[in-house]
Amino acid sequence: MRTKVIALLLLAAVAGSAAFLLLQSGGTEHPVARITRDGVLLEEIDLSRVDTPYSITLEDGSGTNTVLVEPGRVRVSEADCPDQICVNQGWIADGTVPIVCLPHRLILEIVGGGGNLDGGAG
Amino acid sequence: MAGPVKGAGRITQLALLTAIALTIFMAEAQMDPLTAVPGVKLGLANIVTVYVMFVMGPGDALLVLSGRVFLGAIFSGQPMTLIYSAAGGVLSWCVLCLLRKLLTGERIWLVSPVAAIFHNLGQLLAAAAVLRTWTVMAYLPYLVIAAVLAGLFTGVAAQALIKQLKKVQK
Repeated sequence: MRTKVIALLLLAAVAGSAAFLLLQSGGTEHPVARITRDGVLLEEIDLSRVDTPYSITLEDGSGTNTVLVEPGRVRVSEADCPDQICVNQGWIADGTVPIVCLPHRLILEIVGGGGNLDGGAG
Repeated sequence: MAGPVKGAGRITQLALLTAIALTIFMAEAQMDPLTAVPGVKLGLANIVTVYVMFVMGPGDALLVLSGRVFLGAIFSGQPMTLIYSAAGGVLSWCVLCLLRKLLTGERIWLVSPVAAIFHNLGQLLAAAAVLRTWTVMAYLPYLVIAAVLAGLFTGVAAQALIKQLKKVQK
């Protein structure tokens, strides 16, 4: 009985997560990359306005991350942390998952739609 | 090993189990990441945690777990990971304590996926606190699915280990 209840709960958790992943929309109509450290906004890049690829280097006491910006997508190309998790994640082009650098407390995410920008910028 | 061992015997046994867990943890850390989603791994060291929890008890399990988590963070050269491992470890230990009386005998394997989910949840909560944003929760669905799969694997392994070691002890 208990086994069945727990097994069913597990199944529900997996099914729920899978459904969420399948149904979520990235909202890429107007992708804007936001880079934050400790919850403070460092950079906000309108990816639909990027013409030529360029890179930004972000540095603080904990270390350095190099962010590569291309039309419609961003990635972390270099980081001086031992785990390289953010680098291995590769490119992101929509809002499904952010790139997180835990050692440097850096988040690189894409927010879709113009709603997050003020009207004048759109 | 089935009965409560006291004194030096218990200390030795816990030290041995911690060493085994740490070795497994470090060996797994050398493997290439399974997916691009960070945090997805088998968590093989938890076979030891589940074993200690069910054969020796919650207190001993916490000792082995904290020893492994602390030394693992130092040996891997990333002391920062201690916060995440500790948060995940404590939360999954609590879940194991709750399930210890509920699932016994041949059902022990089922605790592992549940504990794994809470381990990943604990890690994400710690990350959310450190990064001061809920953005990281976007990983939760991936980590729940990964946790159940990995947890089933380590759970079955732990169940087999408990069964085999019982035979040896007799």
